[in-house]
Amino acid sequence: MVEQTFEVNERRSGDGVPVIVVTGEIDVATAPALRECLQTTIDGGAARMVVDLLGVSFLDSTALGVLIGALKRCRELGGRLDLVLGEQRIVKVFEITGLTEVFTIFPTVDEALRA
Amino acid sequence: MTSTTDREAGQVGDVIELSLPVAADLLVVVRLTAAAVASRAEFNVEDIEDLRLAVDELCLPLVRSAPEGRLVLRFIRTADSVEITACVDGPEASGGPDAASHDPEDALSAQILDALVDEHGWDGTGSRCWLRKRRSSLPV
Repeated sequence: MVEQTFEVNERRSGDGVPVIVVTGEIDVATAPALRECLQTTIDGGAARMVVDLLGVSFLDSTALGVLIGALKRCRELGGRLDLVLGEQRIVKVFEITGLTEVFTIFPTVDEALRA
Repeated sequence: MTSTTDREAGQVGDVIELSLPVAADLLVVVRLTAAAVASRAEFNVEDIEDLRLAVDELCLPLVRSAPEGRLVLRFIRTADSVEITACVDGPEASGGPDAASHDPEDALSAQILDALVDEHGWDGTGSRCWLRKRRSSLPV
């Protein structure tokens, strides 16, 4: 089994909305890099963002904690943080933790940006 | 990996032991081992993924609370399940449920384990955690 390398990058949509693109596995080793990226984006003045997890092959409770923390900060600033999920096994983690009721989840980045 | 003869009725004797430094970036090795054991136990693809996540969640409190030492895991394949125990062998070894109770991810971790495995818990000393997942169906 070849593990996909973890990467997190920020790009901007045509409207200037930050899109955080994550690939690979988000666990206790890689979650700090995601936290830092989200923090930097929020500190840069963005309270509305989309986190694209389509390329994520694994995530655990550490990753969920990071996403929840960023969601809270965005909401405190009057904004929102939406997720883009594709893989059923990733959706399942959000379902069993009840977080599908907390996050707004979209199947594509375009749909998230149009919301 | 070793395979021994049946120890008792219904038992298959695969016992795999894994010892590695306590390091966040080595949990991937634990997950890969769990997936390999689950595959050998003829778990279906979904159950293999479940066990991969479950063993990660099992080890998280140990990794978070023990800055050094060795993470020691024992994978046991029985006739219809996989059992995994984990502990830290080292000077700072602790990590029981009380030690990690203030971690905000703990509740999420417990929810995930509740959903993915049949049984999980800590031993009486709070130093060793374990889980058991039964095979949901035989492969077609």
